[in-house]
Amino acid sequence: MAQTEYSTTANLPLETIWDFVQEMDNWAQLVTGYQEHVKESATDSLWTLKGDVGVLARKVQFKVHIVEWNGPERVRFELKGLNEPLEGEGIFTMTADSGDAEASEPSSQNWFTRMIEALVRLFVKRKQGAVERDVPVSGGSRLTFNLRIDPGGPMAPMINAMMQPAMNVAAEDLSNRILSELEQRQNQVS
Amino acid sequence: MTKADIRWDLEVDWVAVGSGLAGLTSAIVAHDLGKQVVVLDKAPKLGGLSGYGGGEVFVPNNHKMVELGLEDSIDSGRTYFEFISAGFSDPALMDRLFENMHAAIEYVEKEAGVRWLAVEGLPDYYYPKAPGSHSGGRYLSVDLFDGSTLGEWQTRSFLTPHVPQGVLHRELYEWGGLAKVTEWNYELIGQRITEDKRSFGPGMMGYFIKAAMIDRGIPAYVETPVEELIQEDGRVVGVRAKREGADFFVRARTGVLLAIGGYDHNKKMACEYEAMHEWNSATPPYLHGDHMVMGPEIGAAIAAVPPTNLAMFFGYNIPGEESEGAPLYRTSWECGCPHAIWVNRQGERFCDEAFYKDYQPRLRSWDGAKQEMPNIPPYLIFDQNYRDRYPLGSYMPGMELPGELVETADTPRELAEKLGVDADGLEKTLDRYNEFAARGEDPDFGSGSYAWSVRLTGDQSYPNPCVGPLNKAPYYGIKLVPVSVGINSHGLRTNTNGQVMHVRGAPIPGLYAAGNSAALLDLGGGYQSGTSNMRAITWGYITGRHAAGGE
Ligand SMILES: Cc1cc2nc3c(=O)[nH]c(=O)nc-3n(C[C@H](O)[C@H](O)[C@H](O)COP(=O)(O)OP(=O)(O)OC[C@H]3O[C@@H](n4cnc5c(N)ncnc54)[C@H](O)[C@@H]3O)c2cc1C
Repeated sequence: MAQTEYSTTANLPLETIWDFVQEMDNWAQLVTGYQEHVKESATDSLWTLKGDVGVLARKVQFKVHIVEWNGPERVRFELKGLNEPLEGEGIFTMTADSGDAEASEPSSQNWFTRMIEALVRLFVKRKQGAVERDVPVSGGSRLTFNLRIDPGGPMAPMINAMMQPAMNVAAEDLSNRILSELEQRQNQVS
Repeated sequence: MTKADIRWDLEVDWVAVGSGLAGLTSAIVAHDLGKQVVVLDKAPKLGGLSGYGGGEVFVPNNHKMVELGLEDSIDSGRTYFEFISAGFSDPALMDRLFENMHAAIEYVEKEAGVRWLAVEGLPDYYYPKAPGSHSGGRYLSVDLFDGSTLGEWQTRSFLTPHVPQGVLHRELYEWGGLAKVTEWNYELIGQRITEDKRSFGPGMMGYFIKAAMIDRGIPAYVETPVEELIQEDGRVVGVRAKREGADFFVRARTGVLLAIGGYDHNKKMACEYEAMHEWNSATPPYLHGDHMVMGPEIGAAIAAVPPTNLAMFFGYNIPGEESEGAPLYRTSWECGCPHAIWVNRQGERFCDEAFYKDYQPRLRSWDGAKQEMPNIPPYLIFDQNYRDRYPLGSYMPGMELPGELVETADTPRELAEKLGVDADGLEKTLDRYNEFAARGEDPDFGSGSYAWSVRLTGDQSYPNPCVGPLNKAPYYGIKLVPVSVGINSHGLRTNTNGQVMHVRGAPIPGLYAAGNSAALLDLGGGYQSGTSNMRAITWGYITGRHAAGGE
């Protein structure tokens, strides 16, 4: 199992984040490696991402099924690989920030994680533009993104080891991209 | 460019262009003989194809086999090399290779900390059929290398998608080889990845990068392609590279080594020199054959051996699979397992598919009346027996195969029609193949008769580890494409010091070539795994010493 959690804050009202997050079309393109997505119903969609695990990139297709829709606090979804044996779960949690936590560190910090993160970040920066935000020290809203992926099949332990660092970056990137997009919109309005 | 008024950005004695085995060996040796050295590389990472490949180094009668009590001799090694060369080698270059290969690998072990291990039980390609061939021990590969010792180069050195990270040859065979990929110890592999333990090519280059860049402090400039050789009075005195968009002039007081690999990512050059209509490569996308431009530009001679039976494979790109930002081409090893064959457009088998030294020359057969190559493209055909047991590239048994790559059908006839192969031909071929395969036999092409194929890809639980009938639907087929691995038929002509020769016949002062940039005249018209790395190390050693006056 590869698992990651990323948490950060923004000077944005919860509702603004929720309005944005609840419409998948708004942020689909902000997902690292995004290729395409097709909505099948209010709760189901098919996604194609280019998974990048350092030495290898490959197109991964999977189905996303939303199991909890609890605005403006929480969205939970399950995912299941279509062309790869994998399943997993993701949770966006939005809370009013008490101001006592800073943006979390990626969960695993061994050298390999750092190395692949550095590489993925380089790749992401080049391909999609880096996301650099000023994270407010306190106040506003906190967005936390949890992602767990269980690869199946005999190679699972190896794929886990290869995937973990890339997932840390992906979770951090998606959270920051969403908030940065909203912050830009807010700045344009004000 | 012959400009006396160039403003040099850097001045050293020895400029090693290319950070693969040849470049880094020469850098280490020249440094140890007191020379000031710099390494320049086009790629964003160090290690080159050497750090992206299998890392086998083939040395007959090497000191590690001697330590293990495995009997061999230089003479029988030489006999085997003569067989491989098929009469296309230059004896003086082969002599020089034999005189230096042992010294070179022992030097990098003693002085650069490279921990060699003899790969026991992996036979020479042509064993037992060729004179001088050996049953196992001539291949060296490295012990696990700890990537965390590479400092800033840890994240800027090649890992590879072609072999599992952190697995030793010995372990691979203990786990059943490529055929038993579902049974490998993935817990251990996961742990080695997490700890950055490296093996194969990346492990080998880890030792060389550490020895050169960390232990000796030799500076390396990546993303610095060399574009031009600079001469003064006929002598090469430096190079013009590009660095951060600007010209970067490096003066070489002693010499310049072109160790920049082959032309695998220059499709036009490769198609022309290798006499193929199409070209793809399993190598990292930085090998553009710049030596074949920079050398001739100042009069360097090009030499060639026949492309007929060097190391070139056929394979495929799984749609969407990329590495280093370019489509990843994998060489097809499927036919070393039972329940898989190759056919041509007529639906006929034409080779021992398990042994690529047999398939390569047969692929190049030419129908003179029709002016075509009837065996290109080859089609890989397999059945559900195969899929139940063995992988296709990175697709394990049980995973759905990508429809863009693989045709699937309920009958061989239907499969042939989908692939555009003669259906009667395929049916007839399978009838005959299956009849014999049920008994583990292949009287037509002798699949499974080379111990090397049996060991590397065969399923040892079969009477013939490379042969099994195709009789369980559905049937699968893939049109294969050429996939190169860095070993080219053309390169710069060099002499016994590794100096590049002028078309007029004398060495060009100050210019050397080694590894895949140097023509294969030392080995001639054939190939044996590990000889490419061996000649890269050996000529790196010879050139480094010659340039530093340590001959
Ligand atoms: C999957 C695979 C497995 C293999 N396994 C084996 C094996 O087990 N044993 C074996 O003997 N061989 C093997 N090979 C082949 C072998 O790896 C290479 O032939 C060998 O490593 C070549 O070494 P080299 O020093 O000549 O060049 P390389 O290692 O290719 O180094 C050349 C370097 O030059 C750089 N460069 C290119 N152009 C420029 C320029 N203009 N300026 C500056 N730098 C430049 C490149 O970026 C590269 O880093 C394998 C190949 C593949 C694809």
